[in-house]
Amino acid sequence: MEPAPLSPPEIRRAELKAAVVLAITLAIAAGFVIYVLFARGVFERTQALVLMAEDGAGVTVGMDLTFSGFPVGRVQKIELAGDGKARIEIDVPEKDARWLRASSVFTLERSLVGGARLRAFTGNLADKPLPDGAIREVLRGDATDELPGVIASAKRLLENLERMSAEDSALNASLASSRVLMERMSGPQGALGGLLGSEENARKVITAVDRANATLASLEKVSTRLDGVLQKADESVFGSGGVMEESRKTVVQLNATLAEARESLRKVDAILADAQKITASTRAATDDLAGLRLEVEASLRRVSALIDEINRKWPFSRDTEVKLP
Amino acid sequence: MQAAPFRRGIAGPGATLRAGAAYARRWLHFGAEALAAALSPSTYTAPVRAVAARQVCSSAWEILPGFVVVCALLSYVVMRIVSSTARDYGLSGYALDLFVRLLVLELIPLFVALFVALRSGTAIGTEVALMRVRGELDEAHRREGTGPLRAELLPRGIGTAAAVVALTAIGSLVALVMAYVGIYGLSRWGHGAYARAIGQVFEPMVMVGLGLKVALFAVAVGVIPVAASLGAPRELRSVSEAAPRGLVRLFVTLALVEAASLALRYI
Repeated sequence: MEPAPLSPPEIRRAELKAAVVLAITLAIAAGFVIYVLFARGVFERTQALVLMAEDGAGVTVGMDLTFSGFPVGRVQKIELAGDGKARIEIDVPEKDARWLRASSVFTLERSLVGGARLRAFTGNLADKPLPDGAIREVLRGDATDELPGVIASAKRLLENLERMSAEDSALNASLASSRVLMERMSGPQGALGGLLGSEENARKVITAVDRANATLASLEKVSTRLDGVLQKADESVFGSGGVMEESRKTVVQLNATLAEARESLRKVDAILADAQKITASTRAATDDLAGLRLEVEASLRRVSALIDEINRKWPFSRDTEVKLP
Repeated sequence: MQAAPFRRGIAGPGATLRAGAAYARRWLHFGAEALAAALSPSTYTAPVRAVAARQVCSSAWEILPGFVVVCALLSYVVMRIVSSTARDYGLSGYALDLFVRLLVLELIPLFVALFVALRSGTAIGTEVALMRVRGELDEAHRREGTGPLRAELLPRGIGTAAAVVALTAIGSLVALVMAYVGIYGLSRWGHGAYARAIGQVFEPMVMVGLGLKVALFAVAVGVIPVAASLGAPRELRSVSEAAPRGLVRLFVTLALVEAASLALRYI
Protein backbone atom coordinates (compact mmCIF):
# COMPACT_ATOMS: atom_id res chain seq x y z
CA MET A 1 0.00 0.00 0.00
CA GLU A 2 1.39 3.37 -1.00
CA PRO A 3 1.66 5.88 1.79
CA ALA A 4 -0.91 8.61 1.49
CA PRO A 5 0.34 12.18 1.18
CA LEU A 6 -0.36 13.79 4.53
CA SER A 7 0.91 17.30 3.94
CA PRO A 8 -1.12 19.82 1.97
CA PRO A 9 -0.04 20.24 -1.63
CA GLU A 10 2.92 22.43 -2.28
CA ILE A 11 1.98 26.03 -2.98
CA ARG A 12 4.33 28.72 -4.19
CA ARG A 13 5.06 31.44 -1.65
CA ALA A 14 2.58 29.86 0.69
CA GLU A 15 3.86 31.66 3.76
CA LEU A 16 3.53 35.05 2.08
CA LYS A 17 -0.03 34.32 0.99
CA ALA A 18 -0.91 33.00 4.41
CA ALA A 19 0.57 36.11 5.96
CA VAL A 20 -1.49 38.29 3.61
CA VAL A 21 -4.65 36.44 4.55
CA LEU A 22 -3.90 36.72 8.26
CA ALA A 23 -2.96 40.39 7.89
CA ILE A 24 -6.23 41.10 6.09
CA THR A 25 -8.11 39.27 8.83
CA LEU A 26 -6.40 41.21 11.58
CA ALA A 27 -6.93 44.49 9.74
CA ILE A 28 -10.61 43.73 9.27
CA ALA A 29 -11.04 42.77 12.92
CA ALA A 30 -9.18 45.81 14.24
CA GLY A 31 -10.82 48.16 11.76
CA PHE A 32 -14.24 46.81 12.56
CA VAL A 33 -13.74 47.25 16.28
CA ILE A 34 -12.60 50.84 15.74
CA TYR A 35 -15.51 51.50 13.37
CA VAL A 36 -18.01 50.14 15.88
CA LEU A 37 -16.51 52.29 18.62
CA PHE A 38 -16.78 55.28 16.29
CA ALA A 39 -20.35 54.32 15.39
CA ARG A 40 -21.24 54.07 19.06
CA GLY A 41 -19.97 57.60 19.58
CA VAL A 42 -16.99 56.71 21.77
CA PHE A 43 -14.79 59.31 20.08
CA GLU A 44 -17.37 62.10 20.19
CA ARG A 45 -17.54 64.81 22.81
CA THR A 46 -20.92 64.62 24.39
CA GLN A 47 -23.00 66.36 26.99
CA ALA A 48 -25.31 64.63 29.40
CA LEU A 49 -29.08 64.91 29.47
CA VAL A 50 -31.20 63.20 32.09
CA LEU A 51 -34.84 62.41 31.37
CA MET A 52 -37.19 61.41 34.17
CA ALA A 53 -40.07 59.19 33.09
CA GLU A 54 -43.00 57.77 35.04
CA ASP A 55 -42.49 54.44 33.30
CA GLY A 56 -39.28 53.34 31.63
CA ALA A 57 -40.76 50.30 29.90
CA GLY A 58 -39.60 50.05 26.31
CA VAL A 59 -36.54 52.21 26.80
CA THR A 60 -33.32 50.34 26.11
CA VAL A 61 -29.67 51.25 26.35
CA GLY A 62 -28.44 52.36 22.95
CA MET A 63 -31.79 53.60 21.64
CA ASP A 64 -31.90 56.99 20.00
CA LEU A 65 -33.30 60.32 21.04
CA THR A 66 -34.62 61.85 17.84
CA PHE A 67 -35.29 65.40 16.81
CA SER A 68 -37.32 65.90 13.62
CA GLY A 69 -36.69 62.25 12.83
CA PHE A 70 -32.90 62.50 13.17
CA PRO A 71 -31.04 60.90 16.05
CA VAL A 72 -29.40 63.51 18.24
CA GLY A 73 -28.63 61.42 21.30
CA ARG A 74 -28.26 57.92 22.64
CA VAL A 75 -29.46 56.33 25.84
CA GLN A 76 -26.46 55.33 27.95
CA LYS A 77 -28.02 54.22 31.18
CA ILE A 78 -31.42 53.51 32.71
CA GLU A 79 -31.98 53.23 36.41
CA LEU A 80 -34.68 53.59 39.00
CA ALA A 81 -34.37 56.94 40.71
CA GLY A 82 -34.94 57.55 44.42
CA ASP A 83 -38.42 58.92 43.81
CA GLY A 84 -39.52 55.81 41.95
CA LYS A 85 -39.23 57.29 38.49
CA ALA A 86 -37.18 55.94 35.63
CA ARG A 87 -33.99 57.93 35.22
CA ILE A 88 -32.80 57.84 31.61
CA GLU A 89 -29.30 59.16 30.99
CA ILE A 90 -28.65 60.27 27.45
CA ASP A 91 -25.43 61.32 25.77
CA VAL A 92 -25.95 64.10 23.26
CA PRO A 93 -23.02 64.78 20.89
CA GLU A 94 -21.97 68.39 21.12
CA LYS A 95 -22.50 68.91 17.41
CA ASP A 96 -26.16 67.92 17.82
CA ALA A 97 -26.71 69.70 21.13
CA ARG A 98 -27.71 72.91 19.34
CA TRP A 99 -31.06 71.39 18.47
CA LEU A 100 -31.92 71.06 22.12
CA ARG A 101 -32.80 74.26 23.95
CA ALA A 102 -33.83 75.12 27.46
CA SER A 103 -37.46 75.16 26.39
CA SER A 104 -37.31 71.80 24.57
CA VAL A 105 -39.95 69.20 25.36
CA PHE A 106 -39.19 65.47 25.47
CA THR A 107 -41.70 62.69 24.87
CA LEU A 108 -41.63 58.94 25.24
CA GLU A 109 -43.97 57.31 22.74
CA ARG A 110 -44.93 53.70 22.44
CA SER A 111 -46.61 52.71 19.23
CA LEU A 112 -48.53 49.54 18.53
CA VAL A 113 -45.81 48.37 16.13
CA GLY A 114 -42.12 48.90 16.83
CA GLY A 115 -40.32 49.89 19.96
CA ALA A 116 -40.61 52.95 22.14
CA ARG A 117 -39.37 56.25 20.78
CA LEU A 118 -37.78 59.14 22.61
CA ARG A 119 -38.41 62.40 20.78
CA ALA A 120 -37.37 65.98 21.39
CA PHE A 121 -39.36 69.04 20.31
CA THR A 122 -37.88 72.50 20.25
CA GLY A 123 -40.30 75.31 19.54
CA ASN A 124 -37.85 78.16 19.76
CA LEU A 125 -34.41 77.46 18.35
CA ALA A 126 -33.26 80.92 19.43
CA ASP A 127 -33.77 80.03 23.08
CA LYS A 128 -30.73 79.56 25.30
CA PRO A 129 -28.95 76.20 24.92
CA LEU A 130 -29.73 73.19 27.06
CA PRO A 131 -27.15 73.09 29.85
CA ASP A 132 -24.93 70.06 30.35
CA GLY A 133 -26.46 67.58 32.77
CA ALA A 134 -29.95 69.09 32.48
CA ILE A 135 -32.78 67.09 34.04
CA ARG A 136 -36.11 67.14 32.24
CA GLU A 137 -39.44 65.40 32.67
CA VAL A 138 -40.61 63.14 29.86
CA LEU A 139 -44.15 63.51 28.58
CA ARG A 140 -45.99 60.31 27.81
CA GLY A 141 -47.30 59.77 24.32
CA ASP A 142 -48.49 56.25 24.61
CA ALA A 143 -50.97 54.91 22.09
CA THR A 144 -51.49 51.71 24.01
CA ASP A 145 -52.28 53.48 27.28
CA GLU A 146 -55.37 54.97 25.71
CA LEU A 147 -56.42 51.65 24.26
CA PRO A 148 -58.45 50.29 27.23
CA GLY A 149 -60.41 53.54 27.45
CA VAL A 150 -61.01 53.55 23.73
CA ILE A 151 -62.16 49.94 23.83
CA ALA A 152 -64.49 50.65 26.77
CA SER A 153 -65.98 53.63 24.92
CA ALA A 154 -66.32 51.57 21.76
CA LYS A 155 -68.07 48.86 23.75
CA ARG A 156 -70.54 51.33 25.22
CA LEU A 157 -71.11 52.76 21.78
CA LEU A 158 -71.75 49.33 20.35
CA GLU A 159 -74.21 48.53 23.14
CA ASN A 160 -76.06 51.75 22.47
CA LEU A 161 -76.13 50.96 18.78
CA GLU A 162 -77.42 47.52 19.54
CA ARG A 163 -80.21 48.95 21.70
CA MET A 164 -81.04 51.50 19.05
CA SER A 165 -81.16 48.92 16.32
CA ALA A 166 -83.21 46.35 18.30
CA GLU A 167 -86.56 45.25 16.91
CA ASP A 168 -88.65 47.10 19.52
CA SER A 169 -86.36 50.10 19.94
CA ALA A 170 -87.60 53.68 19.99
CA LEU A 171 -85.55 54.43 16.93
CA ASN A 172 -87.18 51.64 14.99
CA ALA A 173 -90.64 52.83 16.07
CA SER A 174 -89.74 56.38 15.05
CA LEU A 175 -88.52 55.15 11.72
CA ALA A 176 -91.72 53.17 11.22
CA SER A 177 -93.83 56.25 12.05
CA SER A 178 -91.69 58.29 9.72
CA ARG A 179 -92.25 55.78 7.00
CA VAL A 180 -96.04 55.96 7.48
CA LEU A 181 -95.83 59.74 7.44
CA MET A 182 -93.70 59.69 4.31
CA GLU A 183 -96.13 57.35 2.61
CA ARG A 184 -99.01 59.68 3.43
CA MET A 185 -97.02 62.66 2.29
CA SER A 186 -96.30 60.96 -0.98
CA GLY A 187 -100.07 60.32 -1.43
CA PRO A 188 -102.45 62.43 -3.55
CA GLN A 189 -102.94 65.00 -0.75
CA GLY A 190 -99.14 65.46 -0.26
CA ALA A 191 -97.70 66.76 2.99
CA LEU A 192 -101.12 68.14 4.10
CA GLY A 193 -102.61 64.69 4.09
CA GLY A 194 -99.70 63.45 6.21
CA LEU A 195 -100.06 66.23 8.73
CA LEU A 196 -103.84 66.13 9.08
CA GLY A 197 -104.10 62.39 9.20
CA SER A 198 -106.85 61.80 6.61
CA GLU A 199 -107.69 62.79 3.07
CA GLU A 200 -111.06 64.19 4.08
CA ASN A 201 -109.56 66.74 6.42
CA ALA A 202 -106.99 67.67 3.81
CA ARG A 203 -109.74 68.16 1.26
CA LYS A 204 -111.60 70.44 3.65
CA VAL A 205 -108.56 72.56 4.22
CA ILE A 206 -107.93 72.81 0.50
CA THR A 207 -111.52 73.85 -0.09
CA ALA A 208 -111.21 76.47 2.65
CA VAL A 209 -108.08 77.77 1.11
CA ASP A 210 -109.74 77.97 -2.30
CA ARG A 211 -112.60 79.91 -0.83
CA ALA A 212 -110.32 82.25 0.97
CA ASN A 213 -108.51 82.79 -2.29
CA ALA A 214 -111.75 83.64 -4.07
CA THR A 215 -112.75 86.03 -1.26
CA LEU A 216 -109.43 87.71 -1.43
CA ALA A 217 -109.75 88.13 -5.18
CA SER A 218 -113.19 89.66 -4.73
CA LEU A 219 -111.92 91.97 -2.01
CA GLU A 220 -109.14 93.01 -4.28
CA LYS A 221 -111.64 94.00 -6.95
CA VAL A 222 -113.69 95.94 -4.40
CA SER A 223 -110.61 97.65 -3.20
CA THR A 224 -109.70 98.62 -6.74
CA ARG A 225 -113.13 100.07 -7.35
CA LEU A 226 -113.10 101.92 -4.05
CA ASP A 227 -109.78 103.40 -4.99
CA GLY A 228 -111.31 104.67 -8.25
CA VAL A 229 -114.29 106.16 -6.45
CA LEU A 230 -112.16 107.89 -3.90
CA GLN A 231 -109.92 109.23 -6.61
CA LYS A 232 -112.87 110.60 -8.50
CA ALA A 233 -114.36 112.15 -5.35
CA ASP A 234 -111.06 113.68 -4.58
CA GLU A 235 -110.80 115.12 -8.02
CA SER A 236 -114.38 116.46 -7.97
CA VAL A 237 -113.98 118.09 -4.58
CA PHE A 238 -110.41 119.26 -4.53
CA GLY A 239 -109.36 119.13 -8.18
CA SER A 240 -109.16 121.92 -10.69
CA GLY A 241 -112.69 123.12 -11.38
CA GLY A 242 -113.95 121.12 -8.40
CA VAL A 243 -116.59 122.00 -5.84
CA MET A 244 -114.25 123.78 -3.52
CA GLU A 245 -112.85 126.08 -6.16
CA GLU A 246 -116.25 126.89 -7.56
CA SER A 247 -117.55 127.62 -4.07
CA ARG A 248 -114.72 129.96 -3.42
CA LYS A 249 -115.45 131.79 -6.67
CA THR A 250 -119.13 131.94 -5.81
CA VAL A 251 -118.41 133.31 -2.38
CA VAL A 252 -116.31 136.01 -3.97
CA GLN A 253 -119.12 136.84 -6.36
CA LEU A 254 -121.61 136.77 -3.48
CA ASN A 255 -119.51 139.24 -1.57
CA ALA A 256 -119.46 141.51 -4.58
CA THR A 257 -123.22 141.12 -5.07
CA LEU A 258 -123.91 141.80 -1.41
CA ALA A 259 -121.83 144.92 -1.65
CA GLU A 260 -123.88 145.97 -4.59
CA ALA A 261 -127.07 145.16 -2.71
CA ARG A 262 -125.93 147.20 0.26
CA GLU A 263 -125.22 150.05 -2.06
CA SER A 264 -128.64 149.65 -3.63
CA LEU A 265 -130.33 149.59 -0.23
CA ARG A 266 -128.44 152.70 0.77
CA LYS A 267 -129.77 154.23 -2.34
CA VAL A 268 -133.25 152.93 -1.42
CA ASP A 269 -132.85 154.56 1.96
CA ALA A 270 -131.93 157.77 0.32
CA ILE A 271 -134.74 157.43 -2.09
CA LEU A 272 -137.20 156.63 0.70
CA ALA A 273 -135.96 159.69 2.54
CA ASP A 274 -136.50 161.58 -0.61
CA ALA A 275 -139.87 159.93 -0.95
CA GLN A 276 -140.82 161.07 2.53
CA LYS A 277 -139.76 164.45 1.49
CA ILE A 278 -141.55 164.09 -1.69
CA THR A 279 -144.72 162.60 -0.26
CA ALA A 280 -146.04 166.01 0.10
CA SER A 281 -145.66 166.67 -3.46
CA THR A 282 -146.77 163.29 -4.87
CA ARG A 283 -147.14 164.41 -8.27
CA ALA A 284 -143.67 165.55 -8.64
CA ALA A 285 -142.34 162.35 -7.26
CA THR A 286 -144.26 159.82 -9.29
CA ASP A 287 -141.62 159.67 -12.08
CA ASP A 288 -138.78 159.10 -9.58
CA LEU A 289 -140.76 156.25 -7.94
CA ALA A 290 -141.19 154.48 -11.20
CA GLY A 291 -137.45 154.66 -11.91
CA LEU A 292 -136.57 153.55 -8.41
CA ARG A 293 -138.88 150.59 -8.64
CA LEU A 294 -137.19 149.44 -11.78
CA GLU A 295 -133.83 149.70 -10.14
CA VAL A 296 -134.93 147.70 -7.08
CA GLU A 297 -136.44 145.04 -9.17
CA ALA A 298 -133.29 144.73 -11.21
CA SER A 299 -131.22 144.32 -8.06
CA LEU A 300 -133.60 141.73 -6.66
CA ARG A 301 -133.42 139.77 -9.88
CA ARG A 302 -129.69 139.74 -9.78
CA VAL A 303 -129.75 138.55 -6.17
CA SER A 304 -132.20 135.87 -7.12
CA ALA A 305 -130.01 134.84 -10.05
CA LEU A 306 -126.98 134.67 -7.77
CA ILE A 307 -128.76 132.47 -5.27
CA ASP A 308 -129.89 130.26 -8.06
CA GLU A 309 -126.36 129.98 -9.29
CA ILE A 310 -125.16 128.98 -5.84
CA ASN A 311 -127.87 126.44 -5.53
CA ARG A 312 -127.02 125.03 -8.89
CA LYS A 313 -123.34 124.66 -8.15
CA TRP A 314 -123.69 123.32 -4.60
CA PRO A 315 -123.89 119.50 -4.81
CA PHE A 316 -126.55 119.16 -2.20
CA SER A 317 -128.82 121.61 -3.76
CA ARG A 318 -132.00 120.57 -5.27
CA ASP A 319 -132.18 120.19 -8.97
CA THR A 320 -133.09 123.47 -10.50
CA GLU A 321 -133.03 122.34 -14.02
CA VAL A 322 -136.29 122.77 -15.82
CA LYS A 323 -137.06 119.58 -17.49
CA LEU A 324 -139.07 120.06 -20.56
CA PRO A 325 -141.81 117.63 -21.15
CA MET B 1 -3.37 5.78 23.82
CA GLN B 2 -5.51 2.95 22.58
CA ALA B 3 -8.68 4.41 21.26
CA ALA B 4 -11.98 2.77 22.10
CA PRO B 5 -12.95 0.46 19.28
CA PHE B 6 -16.00 1.28 17.28
CA ARG B 7 -18.55 -1.37 18.14
CA ARG B 8 -20.95 -2.30 15.41
CA GLY B 9 -24.25 -3.96 16.01
CA ILE B 10 -24.73 -2.72 19.57
CA ALA B 11 -27.70 -0.47 19.76
CA GLY B 12 -28.40 -0.33 23.49
CA PRO B 13 -28.57 2.98 25.26
CA GLY B 14 -25.74 2.04 27.57
CA ALA B 15 -23.43 1.36 24.68
CA THR B 16 -24.40 4.63 23.02
CA LEU B 17 -23.71 6.54 26.20
CA ARG B 18 -20.37 4.81 26.62
CA ALA B 19 -19.43 5.59 23.04
CA GLY B 20 -20.47 9.23 23.50
CA ALA B 21 -18.46 9.53 26.70
CA ALA B 22 -15.43 7.98 25.08
CA TYR B 23 -15.75 10.33 22.12
CA ALA B 24 -16.08 13.36 24.38
CA ARG B 25 -13.07 12.30 26.43
CA ARG B 26 -10.96 11.75 23.33
CA TRP B 27 -12.15 15.03 21.80
CA LEU B 28 -11.38 16.97 24.93
CA HIS B 29 -8.01 15.29 25.34
CA PHE B 30 -6.94 15.93 21.80
CA GLY B 31 -8.46 19.38 21.73
CA ALA B 32 -6.74 20.46 24.93
CA GLU B 33 -3.45 19.10 23.75
CA ALA B 34 -3.75 20.77 20.37
CA LEU B 35 -4.86 24.06 21.89
CA ALA B 36 -2.00 24.05 24.35
CA ALA B 37 0.42 23.33 21.57
CA ALA B 38 -1.11 25.97 19.33
CA LEU B 39 -0.82 28.60 22.03
CA SER B 40 2.78 27.85 22.91
CA PRO B 41 5.24 29.86 20.77
CA SER B 42 7.75 27.03 20.76
CA THR B 43 5.39 25.05 18.56
CA TYR B 44 5.83 27.39 15.63
CA THR B 45 9.03 26.06 14.19
CA ALA B 46 9.79 26.63 10.55
CA PRO B 47 8.35 23.30 9.33
CA VAL B 48 5.17 23.84 11.39
CA ARG B 49 4.78 27.36 10.00
CA ALA B 50 5.26 26.06 6.49
CA VAL B 51 2.63 23.37 6.87
CA ALA B 52 0.21 25.79 8.55
CA ALA B 53 0.77 28.33 5.79
CA ARG B 54 0.08 25.74 3.12
CA GLN B 55 -3.10 24.77 4.90
CA VAL B 56 -4.25 28.39 5.13
CA CYS B 57 -3.55 28.84 1.44
CA SER B 58 -5.37 25.64 0.60
CA SER B 59 -8.41 26.42 2.75
CA ALA B 60 -8.70 30.18 2.27
CA TRP B 61 -6.43 31.79 -0.31
CA GLU B 62 -7.28 29.55 -3.24
CA ILE B 63 -11.00 29.96 -2.85
CA LEU B 64 -10.97 33.60 -1.83
CA PRO B 65 -12.22 35.16 -5.13
CA GLY B 66 -15.07 32.71 -5.49
CA PHE B 67 -15.93 33.02 -1.83
CA VAL B 68 -16.06 36.83 -2.02
CA VAL B 69 -18.28 36.73 -5.11
CA VAL B 70 -20.67 34.19 -3.59
CA CYS B 71 -20.77 36.13 -0.33
CA ALA B 72 -21.48 39.39 -2.15
CA LEU B 73 -24.28 37.89 -4.21
CA LEU B 74 -25.84 36.13 -1.25
CA SER B 75 -25.61 39.27 0.89
CA TYR B 76 -27.08 41.50 -1.79
CA VAL B 77 -30.00 39.16 -2.45
CA VAL B 78 -30.75 38.70 1.25
CA MET B 79 -30.43 42.43 1.85
CA ARG B 80 -32.85 43.23 -0.97
CA ILE B 81 -35.36 40.68 0.33
CA VAL B 82 -35.11 41.93 3.90
CA SER B 83 -35.20 45.57 2.82
CA SER B 84 -38.23 45.28 0.54
CA THR B 85 -40.14 43.13 3.02
CA ALA B 86 -39.41 45.53 5.85
CA ARG B 87 -40.52 48.44 3.66
CA ASP B 88 -43.79 46.66 2.84
CA TYR B 89 -44.54 46.39 6.52
CA GLY B 90 -43.41 49.94 7.26
CA LEU B 91 -40.42 48.72 9.24
CA SER B 92 -37.61 49.79 6.93
CA GLY B 93 -35.82 51.32 9.90
CA TYR B 94 -35.20 47.82 11.17
CA ALA B 95 -34.00 46.29 7.88
CA LEU B 96 -30.28 46.81 8.47
CA ASP B 97 -30.59 45.68 12.07
CA LEU B 98 -32.32 42.48 10.98
CA PHE B 99 -29.85 41.84 8.16
CA VAL B 100 -26.80 42.26 10.37
CA ARG B 101 -28.22 40.08 13.10
CA LEU B 102 -29.24 37.41 10.62
CA LEU B 103 -26.32 37.30 8.21
CA VAL B 104 -23.25 38.71 9.92
CA LEU B 105 -23.86 37.42 13.40
CA GLU B 106 -25.34 34.04 12.58
CA LEU B 107 -25.30 32.75 9.03
CA ILE B 108 -21.88 33.74 7.70
CA PRO B 109 -19.86 32.27 10.62
CA LEU B 110 -21.87 29.04 10.44
CA PHE B 111 -21.65 28.73 6.67
CA VAL B 112 -17.92 29.45 6.65
CA ALA B 113 -17.31 26.80 9.31
CA LEU B 114 -19.32 24.26 7.36
CA PHE B 115 -17.64 25.22 4.11
CA VAL B 116 -14.10 24.87 5.47
CA ALA B 117 -15.04 21.65 7.21
CA LEU B 118 -16.34 20.17 3.97
CA ARG B 119 -13.38 21.37 1.97
CA SER B 120 -10.50 20.58 4.34
CA GLY B 121 -11.84 18.66 7.31
CA THR B 122 -12.92 15.64 5.31
CA ALA B 123 -9.52 15.39 3.63
CA ILE B 124 -7.66 15.63 6.92
CA GLY B 125 -9.98 13.13 8.59
CA THR B 126 -9.46 10.62 5.82
CA GLU B 127 -5.70 11.02 5.93
CA VAL B 128 -5.60 10.59 9.70
CA ALA B 129 -7.67 7.42 9.43
CA LEU B 130 -5.24 6.08 6.84
CA MET B 131 -2.31 6.93 9.09
CA ARG B 132 -3.91 4.99 11.92
CA VAL B 133 -4.39 2.00 9.68
CA ARG B 134 -0.73 2.17 8.72
CA GLY B 135 0.26 2.43 12.39
CA GLU B 136 2.03 5.74 12.02
CA LEU B 137 0.28 7.28 15.00
CA ASP B 138 1.55 5.04 17.71
CA GLU B 139 2.31 6.01 21.25
CA ALA B 140 6.05 6.35 20.73
CA HIS B 141 5.80 9.00 18.08
CA ARG B 142 3.43 11.06 20.10
CA ARG B 143 5.41 10.79 23.30
CA GLU B 144 8.56 12.01 21.60
CA GLY B 145 6.79 15.09 20.36
CA THR B 146 8.20 14.73 16.89
CA GLY B 147 5.52 12.54 15.49
CA PRO B 148 2.81 13.37 13.00
CA LEU B 149 0.74 15.18 15.64
CA ARG B 150 3.27 17.94 16.05
CA ALA B 151 4.65 17.74 12.58
CA GLU B 152 1.49 17.52 10.49
CA LEU B 153 -1.80 17.35 12.34
CA LEU B 154 -1.34 20.35 14.58
CA PRO B 155 -0.22 22.79 11.86
CA ARG B 156 -3.03 21.65 9.62
CA GLY B 157 -5.55 22.12 12.41
CA ILE B 158 -4.14 25.57 13.12
CA GLY B 159 -4.25 26.43 9.43
CA THR B 160 -7.84 25.26 9.13
CA ALA B 161 -8.90 27.24 12.18
CA ALA B 162 -7.12 30.33 10.87
CA ALA B 163 -8.90 29.88 7.54
CA VAL B 164 -12.25 29.80 9.32
CA VAL B 165 -11.48 33.05 11.15
CA ALA B 166 -10.13 34.74 8.01
CA LEU B 167 -13.02 33.75 5.78
CA THR B 168 -15.53 34.77 8.44
CA ALA B 169 -13.94 38.21 8.74
CA ILE B 170 -13.75 38.71 4.98
CA GLY B 171 -17.26 37.39 4.43
CA SER B 172 -18.69 39.62 7.15
CA LEU B 173 -16.95 42.66 5.69
CA VAL B 174 -18.33 41.87 2.23
CA ALA B 175 -21.80 41.39 3.72
CA LEU B 176 -21.68 44.73 5.53
CA VAL B 177 -20.51 46.52 2.38
CA MET B 178 -23.24 44.88 0.33
CA ALA B 179 -25.80 45.78 2.99
CA TYR B 180 -24.86 49.44 2.62
CA VAL B 181 -25.04 49.21 -1.17
CA GLY B 182 -28.31 47.32 -0.99
CA ILE B 183 -29.98 49.99 1.14
CA TYR B 184 -28.35 53.26 0.13
CA GLY B 185 -26.82 52.45 -3.24
CA LEU B 186 -23.50 54.17 -3.87
CA SER B 187 -24.58 57.37 -2.13
CA ARG B 188 -22.35 58.45 0.69
CA TRP B 189 -25.16 60.20 2.55
CA GLY B 190 -26.41 57.04 4.15
CA HIS B 191 -23.31 56.61 6.22
CA GLY B 192 -24.63 58.41 9.30
CA ALA B 193 -27.69 56.20 9.64
CA TYR B 194 -25.68 53.12 8.67
CA ALA B 195 -23.01 53.75 11.30
CA ARG B 196 -25.66 54.40 13.91
CA ALA B 197 -27.44 51.13 13.11
CA ILE B 198 -24.16 49.19 13.17
CA GLY B 199 -23.28 50.81 16.46
CA GLN B 200 -26.62 49.83 17.94
CA VAL B 201 -26.34 46.19 16.85
CA PHE B 202 -22.73 45.62 17.84
CA GLU B 203 -22.89 46.21 21.52
CA PRO B 204 -19.77 45.20 23.46
CA MET B 205 -21.31 41.93 24.61
CA VAL B 206 -22.41 41.10 21.08
CA MET B 207 -18.88 41.72 19.80
CA VAL B 208 -17.40 39.49 22.49
CA GLY B 209 -20.02 36.83 21.81
CA LEU B 210 -19.32 36.91 18.08
CA GLY B 211 -15.59 36.60 18.62
CA LEU B 212 -16.05 33.72 21.02
CA LYS B 213 -18.41 31.92 18.69
CA VAL B 214 -16.09 32.24 15.71
CA ALA B 215 -13.18 31.02 17.84
CA LEU B 216 -15.17 27.99 18.95
CA PHE B 217 -16.21 27.27 15.37
CA ALA B 218 -12.56 27.48 14.28
CA VAL B 219 -11.37 25.14 17.02
CA ALA B 220 -14.17 22.70 16.27
CA VAL B 221 -13.40 22.67 12.54
CA GLY B 222 -9.67 22.23 13.23
CA VAL B 223 -9.99 19.53 15.86
CA ILE B 224 -13.11 17.41 15.47
CA PRO B 225 -12.40 15.73 12.10
CA VAL B 226 -8.97 14.65 13.36
CA ALA B 227 -10.31 13.57 16.73
CA ALA B 228 -13.04 11.53 15.07
CA SER B 229 -10.53 9.80 12.80
CA LEU B 230 -8.25 9.05 15.72
CA GLY B 231 -11.09 7.06 17.28
CA ALA B 232 -11.70 4.99 14.15
CA PRO B 233 -10.82 1.26 14.19
CA ARG B 234 -7.56 0.21 12.62
CA GLU B 235 -9.23 -1.35 9.63
CA LEU B 236 -8.98 -0.28 6.05
CA ARG B 237 -12.71 -0.46 5.47
CA SER B 238 -13.36 2.00 8.30
CA VAL B 239 -11.37 4.71 6.48
CA SER B 240 -14.31 5.55 4.22
CA GLU B 241 -16.56 6.00 7.26
CA ALA B 242 -14.17 8.06 9.36
CA ALA B 243 -14.55 11.33 7.48
CA PRO B 244 -18.41 11.34 7.34
CA ARG B 245 -18.55 10.42 11.00
CA GLY B 246 -16.22 13.27 11.84
CA LEU B 247 -18.36 15.67 9.78
CA VAL B 248 -21.55 14.62 11.51
CA ARG B 249 -19.93 15.17 14.90
CA LEU B 250 -18.65 18.49 13.70
CA PHE B 251 -22.11 19.56 12.53
CA VAL B 252 -23.61 18.56 15.85
CA THR B 253 -20.94 20.52 17.71
CA LEU B 254 -21.42 23.58 15.48
CA ALA B 255 -25.17 23.39 16.02
CA LEU B 256 -24.69 23.18 19.79
CA VAL B 257 -22.36 26.20 19.77
CA GLU B 258 -24.78 28.15 17.61
CA ALA B 259 -27.72 27.24 19.85
CA ALA B 260 -25.78 28.20 22.96
CA SER B 261 -24.82 31.50 21.35
CA LEU B 262 -28.43 32.28 20.44
CA ALA B 263 -29.64 31.24 23.86
CA LEU B 264 -27.12 33.45 25.63
CA ARG B 265 -27.93 36.43 23.44
CA TYR B 266 -31.70 36.30 23.20
CA ILE B 267 -32.92 34.31 26.19
